[in-house]
Amino acid sequence: MSQSSVSSLPFALRSLTRDLRTGEIRVLALALIIAVASVTAVGFFTDRIGRAMERQAADVLAADLRIRAGQPLDPSIQTQALDRGLDTATTTQFPSVVLTNDDESQLVSVKAVSDGYPLRGTLSLARLDNTTESAPLAVPTPGSVWVDLQLMNTLSFTQGDVLQLGSREYTIERLIRFEPDRGENVFELAPRVMMNATDLEGSSLIGEGSRVRYALLMAGETGAIDDMRAWADDAHREDVTIEGVRDGSPQVNRALDRASVFLGLASVVTVLLAGAAIALAVRQCALKQADASAVMRTLGAARREVVAWLSWRLVVIALGASIIGIVVGYLAQMVLADLLKEWFRLALPLPGIKPPLIGLLTAFVTLAGFGLLPVVRAGTVPVMSVLQRDYTGLSASTWLVGLVGLVAAFFVVYLQSGNVQLSLIVIGGVVAMLSIFGIFGRAIIAGVRQLAGRRWRLSVAGLQRRAGSSVVQLSAFALGIMALLLISIVRVDVLKAWERDVPADAPNAFIVNIQPPQADPLVERLRGEGIDVPGAFPMVRARMVAINSDVTLRSDSSDEHQRRHARYEYNLTWSDTLPEASVVTKGEWWEPNDERPLLSLEQEWAERQGFNIGDTLTFRVGGQDTTGTVANFREVDWESFKVNFFAMGNAALLADMPHTFVTSFHIDRDFGAASSEWLRAFPGIVTLDVGAIIQRVKGLMERAALAVEYVFLFTLVAGVVVLLAAVQSSQGERIRESALLRSLGASHRQIRESILAEFAILGAISGFLAALFATIVAWAISRFVLELPFEFNPLLWVTGVVVGTLGISIAGYFATRKVMKTPPLIALRHT
Amino acid sequence: MPDSISSSLSSNTPASSNTTAAITGSGLSSDTSALVANHISKTVSGPNGDLTILSDASVTVETAEAIAIVGPSGSGKSTLLGLLAGLDSPTGGDVELLGQSLKGLDEDARARLRAGRVGFVFQSFQLLPGLSALENVMLPLELAGLDDARGPALEMLGQVGLADRAKHHPLQLSGGEQQRVAVARAFVSTPALLFADEPTGNLDGETGAVIIDLMFSLREQQQSALVLVTHDTALAQRCDRRYKMVSGVLSPESDASHPGGTA
Ligand SMILES: Nc1ncnc2c1ncn2[C@@H]1O[C@H](COP(=O)(O)OP(=O)(O)OP(=O)(O)O)[C@@H](O)[C@H]1O
Ligand SMILES: [Mg+2]
Repeated sequence: MSQSSVSSLPFALRSLTRDLRTGEIRVLALALIIAVASVTAVGFFTDRIGRAMERQAADVLAADLRIRAGQPLDPSIQTQALDRGLDTATTTQFPSVVLTNDDESQLVSVKAVSDGYPLRGTLSLARLDNTTESAPLAVPTPGSVWVDLQLMNTLSFTQGDVLQLGSREYTIERLIRFEPDRGENVFELAPRVMMNATDLEGSSLIGEGSRVRYALLMAGETGAIDDMRAWADDAHREDVTIEGVRDGSPQVNRALDRASVFLGLASVVTVLLAGAAIALAVRQCALKQADASAVMRTLGAARREVVAWLSWRLVVIALGASIIGIVVGYLAQMVLADLLKEWFRLALPLPGIKPPLIGLLTAFVTLAGFGLLPVVRAGTVPVMSVLQRDYTGLSASTWLVGLVGLVAAFFVVYLQSGNVQLSLIVIGGVVAMLSIFGIFGRAIIAGVRQLAGRRWRLSVAGLQRRAGSSVVQLSAFALGIMALLLISIVRVDVLKAWERDVPADAPNAFIVNIQPPQADPLVERLRGEGIDVPGAFPMVRARMVAINSDVTLRSDSSDEHQRRHARYEYNLTWSDTLPEASVVTKGEWWEPNDERPLLSLEQEWAERQGFNIGDTLTFRVGGQDTTGTVANFREVDWESFKVNFFAMGNAALLADMPHTFVTSFHIDRDFGAASSEWLRAFPGIVTLDVGAIIQRVKGLMERAALAVEYVFLFTLVAGVVVLLAAVQSSQGERIRESALLRSLGASHRQIRESILAEFAILGAISGFLAALFATIVAWAISRFVLELPFEFNPLLWVTGVVVGTLGISIAGYFATRKVMKTPPLIALRHT
Repeated sequence: MPDSISSSLSSNTPASSNTTAAITGSGLSSDTSALVANHISKTVSGPNGDLTILSDASVTVETAEAIAIVGPSGSGKSTLLGLLAGLDSPTGGDVELLGQSLKGLDEDARARLRAGRVGFVFQSFQLLPGLSALENVMLPLELAGLDDARGPALEMLGQVGLADRAKHHPLQLSGGEQQRVAVARAFVSTPALLFADEPTGNLDGETGAVIIDLMFSLREQQQSALVLVTHDTALAQRCDRRYKMVSGVLSPESDASHPGGTA
């Protein structure tokens, strides 16, 4: 039996169960459990919520993927989708005129839908006679149509009435309360008539020259959707428009983006904090193990055996803590998912396998990164230390420990973020921060000592005596507080941004198709009803016929790009002044009386189209052409829900063209009732209620905000664990020191005050440093990631210092209780 | 290895050991010395250049012989003890531990040489705080690869009078009790050689005397050689021979112990 039994797992297990009684191992296990629990919970949660939110976004498309074109879609596209196991449905949308029995007529937007529509989201329907629905209908029955409230208000139908569309009559079957994919272009939305796609066949509804939009809706597995999208991008990029969940409305997109930025950030910070706690605790453990290692090797154990034994302990701890952590994380997310189920109309998708794996990996990588080298060092401490206690020769590899730890931290952040560049930035930032914490911390402690009076001298002297561990503690405190401050600033920023995106008074009503003589009286009437109307904007419908006069656009051009330009109907407006919520990004805004015809283009759109300042664009309005020079690009806040235009001109360009007016405003009253009065008073206008769209975006943001708050909670817990680990890391030293002081005659009170003062000083310094860095990082995040204006918050510094001082003192108070409870005899005996 | 331990433990009744001790007590019958150090020295590099903390020391310890090293604080006693036990390597000279030269052996090989055959008692006890008294005593046997360490360890704890404290932790024991556990740990593997560095240094006189009696009787029983570092000249007198250490220079003490010396 040459193989010694210490290297075996059973020995590690036995000695571990014994050692679980010691403080460091407990703190380490706790830090690990919380790290794994938070990573797992955040992982589970973001995964599930993320997928649920994408589903919500899919409502806006009524599909996961939508392919649209101005001409019938190549049937091979649908075949491809079916081949990939996707569900499909089609919609065909075109303008038409409805005639009633009373010979009233109204321009409407007809949508013919096939079975299965909508693939995502739900239509909300009602019977026109207000009786309850007996059996919910999926799509209009052939021969029947569904109409929306707007058409109802204009033409007042009742259940079973008939309307004429083209050469046929259709029975009115249902009232559409909500149509998930309605919010396309609010200006083009005439009242809706929905019919069954089979009724299109053989009807004369789609005639020559009518503007028809054909769409194929698809839904199914993410992988299949991605694959389908890739195929369509490849095969049909030129002649169709492809829209996925993420290309939806800008509002929903931005909300999702910000939510995922925040959730990602919060979980990275959580993992980093947990890593810091683990690093502190494992370092403590290893230090403690150095003594045991020396004794064991004196008694005949080989270094390899000791290292193996210590490593096995780490593996066992990591496994045990991971399992507990995963269970805790799973339970935590379950509670939350349950809470959120109410909010989501759909059941949340089931949790995946990835989060627990990442939790497990995080535990092992962090432990290995921060624990392995200290363990090796503990295993190879000079045996002579059993005879000469202060035998040193250990400190040389501190840099290496740090380096390996950083590599581990990088990997862990990468696991969370999945982005190499971001991970590098985060780790670089942490290194810079820790260095500065270290340098500043040392300097400030020295400075405070100069200033400290007699009463405080003992505390500050204590700090300086343990300069090394003081700086480690200080850095840990500062990192913890900084993360908490940062996450709270960013959280508030995100919430504020959302609030600003959809303010309570965001316009929820549009009126379009206002004839020029109606404009002023209508605005006056609205104002008379107490509605805050900004005014009415002129709107010119135009097609682009030439770019730089040499490229003439024709709708039958062989060039697809040209064809698209030629087919697209632009809504143009003119103004002397730059619209609210817009910024000129290139070129100059025009003078009010400039005689030259000038154009202003939305920057992103213009760049995508390849337009430049100085280009001339010719538009055809009715039969007239008008040519303008692009004078500037403008950034438009699409989230404002105000009337926005891709292209606008000055009066010289457009004022003489046939036009209508458009306005938008916020209304609290019942829109249906109000609008039917306006419709009667101003014949021909079209009123649009976008309240439902706004409500949906708001709902989405509320949910995302809840997720943000929840993830923030985990970060908070991780931050507190770091603080605890940091306090714990100096406890051994403190116990010995206070025992010594007490044996020299110091009273409990004196020692407690001294320790509390020490923690308070540490807390204040770290709070200050934390506020400094939180401000810098928050600025960078809001500037470059969230793209929000940054507001400097002086209160943050107060919060940082107060939270630091109080928080660390409270943690210190608990630490001192333990220190006080240890009789000096025991403390001194064990030196 | 386990065989030798268990067999010696099972034959370890006080009567039989005493008989053996009586026969081999002089140590003269042994053909190999327990420990031989030839001209060993230790130089360390300090901030002001090299510093010789031990120069040219030679020591021989025969089987079952007890020697004492006395000297003022800082004179290099612990340094010497560490070198003799193979805890550190000398910068000059050679040490032969239990018949095996340490030259060329790496640290692990030296550790393997010690396992189960060399015992230690330290001034600061050096019990592992996470382990109970019993588990501390089991440790050398486990390290030597013994499968059932529990029985012998319990028996040894009984011999030092702490059978009822087996489950207690070092911090729950008094200094004297801790040192008794340490003594049990040192003798549980029937070591051929025992190193003790100021074993009573942290204890009061009476408790110290108990520990010393225990140590000497156990080493008699087990026929272990002993290298004892101490300040206490009375204690040194209980050893067979004495060495004196002054400023890193070791010399055999012959005068004081021989009544008819140079006086
Ligand atoms: N690794 C080292 N580096 C520098 N100096 C050392 C080292 N090890 C020991 N010394 C010095 O060598 C001298 C002898 O130390 P040692 O511990 O052997 O003394 P000692 O005789 O055991 O003293 P005490 O009775 O106080 O325990 C001391 O001055 C000590 O500071
Ligand atoms: Mg010494």
